[in-house]
Order: sequence, then structure tokens, then C-alpha cells
Amino acid sequence: MSDRLISTLSSLPAPTLNALAGAGYETIRDLSTATPEQLSRDLNLSLPASQAVFAATRPSASFPMTQSAAAMMGSTQKPFSTACAPLDRLLDGGLKRGYILEINGPPGSGKEQIAVNAVRGFVARKQEVLFVDMQNMASPATIKRTLMNSNPTVDGGGAALVRHLALHSAAEFVIFLRNLTAYLDERPATGLLVLNSLAFPFQCEFSPKDRNAILERLRQTLARACASMGLSVIITSQLVTKPVEGNGQPGSAPQGSKMIMSPAFVHKGKDYLRTSRTYRVIVVPQTRTTGVIRLLSTPTSQPPAHAVREESYQRVRGVIV
Amino acid sequence: MRLQHFSPPLPERLIKALTDISIRTDTDLLLSEDPTKIFMRLPPELGFSLLDFRNAVAKVAELASASSLHGDALLEKERKRQEDIFADDMLVGVPDVDALLGGFSPPQVVEVSGDHLSGKTALALQLVLRHLSLVSESSALWIDSSGEFSTERVGLMLEQMNGPAAHTVLERLQVSLAFDIEAVHDVLENLRQSLSSRDSDGDVPATRCVVIDSITPLLGPMLSATSSQGHAIMTTFMRQLRAYADSFSLTIIVINASTKMLPRNPETVFETARKPALGPSFTFTPDATLWLSQRPSEESADEAATTHVAEVLRSRISVSPAHWRENTTH
Repeated sequence: MSDRLISTLSSLPAPTLNALAGAGYETIRDLSTATPEQLSRDLNLSLPASQAVFAATRPSASFPMTQSAAAMMGSTQKPFSTACAPLDRLLDGGLKRGYILEINGPPGSGKEQIAVNAVRGFVARKQEVLFVDMQNMASPATIKRTLMNSNPTVDGGGAALVRHLALHSAAEFVIFLRNLTAYLDERPATGLLVLNSLAFPFQCEFSPKDRNAILERLRQTLARACASMGLSVIITSQLVTKPVEGNGQPGSAPQGSKMIMSPAFVHKGKDYLRTSRTYRVIVVPQTRTTGVIRLLSTPTSQPPAHAVREESYQRVRGVIV
Repeated sequence: MRLQHFSPPLPERLIKALTDISIRTDTDLLLSEDPTKIFMRLPPELGFSLLDFRNAVAKVAELASASSLHGDALLEKERKRQEDIFADDMLVGVPDVDALLGGFSPPQVVEVSGDHLSGKTALALQLVLRHLSLVSESSALWIDSSGEFSTERVGLMLEQMNGPAAHTVLERLQVSLAFDIEAVHDVLENLRQSLSSRDSDGDVPATRCVVIDSITPLLGPMLSATSSQGHAIMTTFMRQLRAYADSFSLTIIVINASTKMLPRNPETVFETARKPALGPSFTFTPDATLWLSQRPSEESADEAATTHVAEVLRSRISVSPAHWRENTTH
């Protein structure tokens, strides 16, 4: 029996707490001599309400997730390869558990293909994958074909571990986001979540406040899932065209001014999807078959303009290697 | 407090008779009516005289009142605590910031608030890591409410600390994930049990510092304009923190986010665009509130460094008003 104050049991309704306080019960220890029937008689509570009081005072079954920082640092397993060698080099080996990779790039640069290929690494290590496709870029057949090509011996290439969800509108995305935590609780073996073409549901006329609220919700949900169950996330996002005046300041566009393409979820210098576990890269095609992948930010730092890390790539049959 | 729970206990028959006339707690007994009137409501065959009853009521009044403290004993205790500050060494390491509140030594509950990227987590992390690297018998608890705790950042900061106990810092820093206020209560309850059951000279390090990184997502969603229950949960929680800090001699740092401030007064000296979140009464619950903001750095400064300013918005532990100035930190 602990000395915990009954007023800290915030799961009980206010009338019950008031009745307990009025009768002089201050700590849980005071309740040790009472029974639910006696309590409901003395305090004029219904029997279920007084049983709820006793249920709340029992020590909770779930242990709080506490570990030392040394355990957190030491538990990093081998990173998962993204099947794209320049990207693996930029990430210092691959995507680690519990980290988010955001891939930006212009249309047709092959970033959705990177996401599909990255699924292979997770399936090979028996991790379940949730693939959310928002622009019909990767159908279940495509994913299954990719898996079977890379691993023909396993039944179906391991496609049973991959679950596919197609969304198109912002409303469906919000519903998905609300259900995501419950889904992940039911399936703790999920190792990877792919949000393909995340910018697509937000393309319609959206007030910035609504969009930012949804993105903030997404950011919080992802941060919690990554921290509590070590979920890795790959997000592919598009670029938006923004006008830029001569000195590089954002502003309205007079005739003939320069337009730049920049990642979709950065607005006025504030990055709406940045968590402390995000790697951001951008695919910059320079010719039809070659280009560079540039590292925009890491969990610890944002590289200054003169020291960006880039890795050049080549496209072989449409796939970045 | 119920009448049954007093020690030394009152006579059993008296308690039962009082319960029958619906007097169950000490407040009912002392404050509802004159004792003579209560005595007249009691059944006459109880065998108590009026004098006995009034003595019993006086005894309950004595047991229910708070214990007295002598001013000179308190002063002595405070002097001793000031001497122990140097032994505890709970400082950020930047002399101007430490002078703002006179150090961060226990028992204290300090709120650190500021805008996005103003250095709140960095300040709390530096305080904790510096203390852990200098004092080898203490440990710290970091309660992460949003999953933003980054071990890379801890590693980077630890490279610059070179205290005598720097190599065991990571084992003594406990990180807990708690996504709602119930979970934080559970974590603090575990802490309370572990602290009250340890012996005074065991070799388990004692927790001296607790950081709640971002209390805003825990309490913010419950505050509403139509119901006061969220506000009640908030004040109860902060009073619990204060009780823990006092009874176990802890320094508790609570990190709070910021929110927009309206209406704007264009004539104030300080910037008035943002203020600490969680409403006007939250700032009265900890001992002090620090507001951090980032200043645009000058052209000649190092590109990787940023300049921040720490202000004391409200404090009941600072000694001299001369300390309520702006101080710069890197």
C-alpha cells in the first residue's frame, strides 16, 4: 500500500474524487481497510464507481519504460540497408531502428523506387512492413515482384510480411493517423513504416493552419512510435516550387524571377517534420542517368552550406544504384 | 483525515457514535458545529461526560494541526543547505546563468520555457550531464514525453565534459518514456519507492535530479475553457512534484513550451510576442521560471554557435533584485 495521494489518480471521475476527499481519504493507504461495498454505502457512490476506485489503486500492470542511457546507446543493432549504395554511404551504413528517413526529390527522380527497394532489407530480417501509398506509385504486385526478384527461394519472397494501404485524400490520411497507434500496438513486430508520396494528400487547397496541425500530429505520433517500439520510417516527399527574389529571400514573384524547388514541408524556415531522429536527403538529378544525393540534415546537425555531403549515383534500368 | 486513522486512537465507541450521526472526519468534528451541540446529539447511554468529550475534541485538534517549526532551527537548516551547495554542484557551468537563480541545487522545482529551438533541452541536458560527470554517487532521471531524447546529442555533449566520473555518466542517466500524465505519475511513484527504500550508504547512486522534457503535451490538452478539471490535474501534479523535491531533496527541471501572447503591448521593454504555455497560473507552481530565447548572432561569430538569452520571468527563490537582468549564454 503506497502513500500516493488519491487526488493524483486522474483516471477517476471528479465526483468520485470529491466524495473520497470529503470523507477524509487522502492516500491510498487509507483505503486499505475499506471494501467496495462499504465505500459505496458510506459515500453514496454506485457500486461500479467504487469498484473503479479500487481498480485504479492497484499497481498498474504495465511497467514504465525506463532504461539507462547506456542501454539505449548500446542497443543499436545493425542498420538496415536501403539497397541503394550512395544512400547507405550517406547514412553511415543504412537506416537504423527507430530512425526516420525523409527522401525529397523532383518528380521522376526515382525516390519511390528507393522506398520499394528498401523494403527488401527489412523483409530479409523478418520485420513486418506497413507500406502506405498515397499516389499509386507502388501497387502490391510491384512490391511482391521486387521481393521475389531479390529473394526467389522464400515463399512469395516474404510478401506476407508486407501490408499495403492506399490512401488518396487528406481525410483518409487523418483517419489513418488516428488509427496508427492502435495498429502498432496490435502488431509489435512492425519494423518499417513507409509513407510514400506524403505531399500528395496535401496538394488541395489547405489552410496552412490545418496542414500544420496534421503535420504536427504526424510528427508526434512518429516520434512516439520510434521511441517506444523502435519503428523505422521512410517518407518520400515532393518538392514545391517557390519564387525567390534575386537575393535569395522568399517573396512574391515579379516577371522573370528565379523559381526554386524546395522540400514540401519546410515553410518560412521551420521544418514541420523534423524530429530528433530524422535524416533528410534530397535526390538531385543532373543528367538523365546520373546525379547526386545530398544530405540535408541529420539527427544531430544541419550541415552548413559549404560542407554538404553528397554522393553521386547512376540509374541502371531506372533504378538508382 | 478520517477519525479512525488518528494515532494515538480515539475510543472506538466514540468513533462509532460519531459516525452514526455522520461525523466522519476531523473537519466534520472541528468545524461543523460547536462541540457542545455535537455532544447533545450523541446518545446519552454512551457513558461520556461533556468534559471527556471536549478533551477528546481538543486532542483531535492538536493531532490535526500542522507541527510547529522554530525560526532559529529553520535558519540553521538553511545555512547548512547553503554550505552543501558546493558539495552537490548542480550548476550549468556558465557563471552568469547560475547567478540568475543562485544555482540549481536541491530542493527546487524550476520551469524552463522558451520558443522552439531556444535551448531548453540543451540547458537541462548540460546541467544534468555536468552534475553526473562531477559527482559519482548521484543519478538522474529524464522523463521524455515526446520521444525526442537523442542519444547522439548526449554523446556529443559528453565529449566536452571531463569530470572525474564522466565515464559512468551513461549508466546513471535513466530515461523514461511517458506519453500521458498517468504514466508520469507511475514513473514518479517508482522513483519514490526506490528512494524511500534505499539505505543511506548503499552503493546504488541516489537520484538528485529529475528532468521532465516538455510537460506541455502532457498537461496542455487537458486545459479547457469550460471545465476546470484539467487545471486541477495540473496543480495537483505540480504540488506533488514540489512534495517530492522537498522530501527527497531533488532538483526538478520542468521544460515548458511557448504560446502566442495577445494583445501585444508595443511599449514594453522585453519582447512580448510569446509567453510560457499552460496558462497564467502554471508559472506560480514551480519555484522559478526561466525564459530562453535565441538572439540573431552577429556576423563575426562562429557559424556553428548560436547566442541565447535567459531571463528570469518569475522567481520566489532569488535573493537580490540585482540579479533580475538579462544574461547571455552560448
